[in-house]
Amino acid sequence: MSTHTHTHTDKKRFEFNRKTFVTMMVIFAVVYLVGVGIWGLFMDPESYAVNYDAKFVSPNFDHPFGTDFMGRDMFSRCIKALSNSLIIGVLASLFSSFIALFMGVASAVFGGWVDKFVNWCVDLCQGLPHLVLLILISFMLGKGVNGVTLAVIFTHWPSLTRIVRAEVMQVRSSQYVQAAYKMGKTKWQVAATHILPHVIPSYVIGLILLFPHAIMHEASVTFLGFGLPKEMPAIGVILSESMDYLATGKWWLAVFPGLMLLVAVVLFDVIGDNLKKLWNPQSGNE
Amino acid sequence: MNNKIKKILCIALVAVMLLGTFTGCGNKDESKNGIIVSAGTSLFDDSLDPIKGSMSYGYPFVCEALMMANPDSEYVGCLAESWDMVDATTYRFKLHQGIKFSNGTDFNADDVVFTYETVKNNQALNSNVDLSSLESVTKLNDYEVEFKLTKPYSPFFDVTAMLQIVPSDSYDSTLFDTMPVGTGAYKVVQYDTNQQIILEANENYHGTAPDIKRVTLVYMDQSAAFAAAKSGDLDIVMVSVSYADEKIEGMKYVEFDTMDVRNLSLVTQPVRTIKHPVTGKDITVGNDVTCDVNVRKAIAIGIDRQTIINNALNGVGRATENYTENLTWTSKTGYEDNRKEEAKRILEAAGWIDTDGDGIREKDGLRCAIDVIAASGDDDRYRLLSALGEEAKELGIEITAKTGTWGEIEQLQYTNGVIWGWGQFSPTVIQSLYSSDRFLVGTYDNVGGYDNPEVDAYINAAITAETQEEATKNWIAAQDVANAEYPYIYIVNIRHGFFISDRIDISMDTQIPHPHGHGAPIINNMADWTYVK
Repeated sequence: MSTHTHTHTDKKRFEFNRKTFVTMMVIFAVVYLVGVGIWGLFMDPESYAVNYDAKFVSPNFDHPFGTDFMGRDMFSRCIKALSNSLIIGVLASLFSSFIALFMGVASAVFGGWVDKFVNWCVDLCQGLPHLVLLILISFMLGKGVNGVTLAVIFTHWPSLTRIVRAEVMQVRSSQYVQAAYKMGKTKWQVAATHILPHVIPSYVIGLILLFPHAIMHEASVTFLGFGLPKEMPAIGVILSESMDYLATGKWWLAVFPGLMLLVAVVLFDVIGDNLKKLWNPQSGNE
Repeated sequence: MNNKIKKILCIALVAVMLLGTFTGCGNKDESKNGIIVSAGTSLFDDSLDPIKGSMSYGYPFVCEALMMANPDSEYVGCLAESWDMVDATTYRFKLHQGIKFSNGTDFNADDVVFTYETVKNNQALNSNVDLSSLESVTKLNDYEVEFKLTKPYSPFFDVTAMLQIVPSDSYDSTLFDTMPVGTGAYKVVQYDTNQQIILEANENYHGTAPDIKRVTLVYMDQSAAFAAAKSGDLDIVMVSVSYADEKIEGMKYVEFDTMDVRNLSLVTQPVRTIKHPVTGKDITVGNDVTCDVNVRKAIAIGIDRQTIINNALNGVGRATENYTENLTWTSKTGYEDNRKEEAKRILEAAGWIDTDGDGIREKDGLRCAIDVIAASGDDDRYRLLSALGEEAKELGIEITAKTGTWGEIEQLQYTNGVIWGWGQFSPTVIQSLYSSDRFLVGTYDNVGGYDNPEVDAYINAAITAETQEEATKNWIAAQDVANAEYPYIYIVNIRHGFFISDRIDISMDTQIPHPHGHGAPIINNMADWTYVK
């Protein structure tokens, strides 16, 4: 009897249910991504310095990802590159999401011509092929870090704006919001105290799901030569450089950086999806 | 019984299939289909019309010029039988008789007069052949022409090798962009923009009929071309020297001597804002680091060119401190490089000292650091620049390797270093590089703003020289004086690498040193190519 109770309480204490699994997944993904970001940020440039004596070394114990045409260690270079991409992607999506939050709330709260204008902007942005718009903006701003960051900021807000707007519309018609209006609160006060807090969960998930898009697009624009400069380690730069050596069988120059980008993007998706499950368990019934 | 029929059917089927395979092979070897060549993409960049400057690097193709270069970089007659410099401003050319254009019309003095007059009257269309010094061209008789110059202009002789002759009675400015008619060994039979140019032997050709009757020049980027060659689809493919160690079955790797140099331009003026002489707008030029001749000299003598070539270019190419050695009018005055200690002493004496311990020198708070740009899309140049940066770092000079499109380089070239590729038969390139009045005027000319009256005087003396010997002497003097102040740091006289099918002999004996042209110059002696029997 007592043994039974004991195991029961034990089970309760260490229960490995879906919730713990999901939380662990999120924690793992966050730790990995933040870890890579910080590792790259504080990495000594000497670790991926030029070393002409070790050109095109295929992956081995010293160089897990091999070395490139200048003998640079591809493992360190990839970490630095991914870190650069993550930082630029996260920054760009953050700013982009601010635009989305502001536009979405304003559009739903004020309605009328504001709503029409925001919708028009969203349609305009979504009507153009995404990559073309990115290249256009980046090129106009002189490419480089500024160009590609601003391009990502200015092209990634429309879908999130729509989500925020829809959420706000839902809350807007609820009774306590109406009551607040009747008590003489201004539209901005209502938006800040009553509407915004309700929108935050969807906004945060939307923001996290925006990261992989931003990172992928930064890498593609850079790959096409309209983004980050060649002297800066970036996944797009590494991949475009690797193209020249693929025909001669230097597969490791493309495979590992490509995989790292893929894993990072998938992990962001894992975080976003699992947070959705945690914060909004009923979403499965929708 | 049934089985037997099946067996026979099977054998018959296999036989038919095998037959198909053999005929397939047969087609490939048959000279009817000719050969497929990937010689870079520059052939496709511009018009093929000589009137607009096509093929101005001194070798025949579809059209031919009065003169052409031979393997020793000397000019020999092509359409001209003999020539004579009557005086400093008068040149006479006697033409070969009995030559026909590929469309069957006869070649004579009228065509020469027509070609030169058309270019002179439409000089704006042609930035490669400069006829501004030509006063008149007259037909003396059907096979003799006389050129009169406004003033003595010694590079005119080069012009006669650069401008190829078009037929006077069938010239069509639009048609000739893609399908020029000339007297050369081949004619264009099909032109697909940025895809392929198909050539067939010109049956009216005046020389020995080419052995290879059909040549397809394809437009491919380098890695695609290399992959295509590996799968056996190409007969000749231009590759970067970084492919030199690769192996392709049925092909051999061949390198060609060139006059193609890679050099670094360094801005010789301090930072200031001036009025652009052409546009009239304010423009910032100059660089406070490289305007110090000591910095330029330290780089020039301190770097180890051979190490740079080994690291960046797979060891292919010849280290050079001047413009190429493959031409008569270039300076051959070299100097020993890799003098690191001496370079450091020069920098220290000039006040460039590393005070903050980051390995890079400073002077009055200014870091000894420059940006250098290599044209994007040319990875050999970027590799060269990166390797140069590593060498300069050892001297305490920071060279940051950047890439940019030519449009961007045009903006940055007056304030930053740039990696250039030059190589042509005509010595006018020396005027472009060093003449002070070219600064800001010619697009890529004298970008460092180098200004030395002594050099200008030598250049003028060379241009107005009355004999080629005198001109050569002055061209060399101009380079020697200018090189002592290092406005350009020559690094390497590169070699062009190709994979060539074992079934073709491209007649190495008659290949001229390749001018700059991203691989295209291999076609200079195409008429001499043969199938290996």
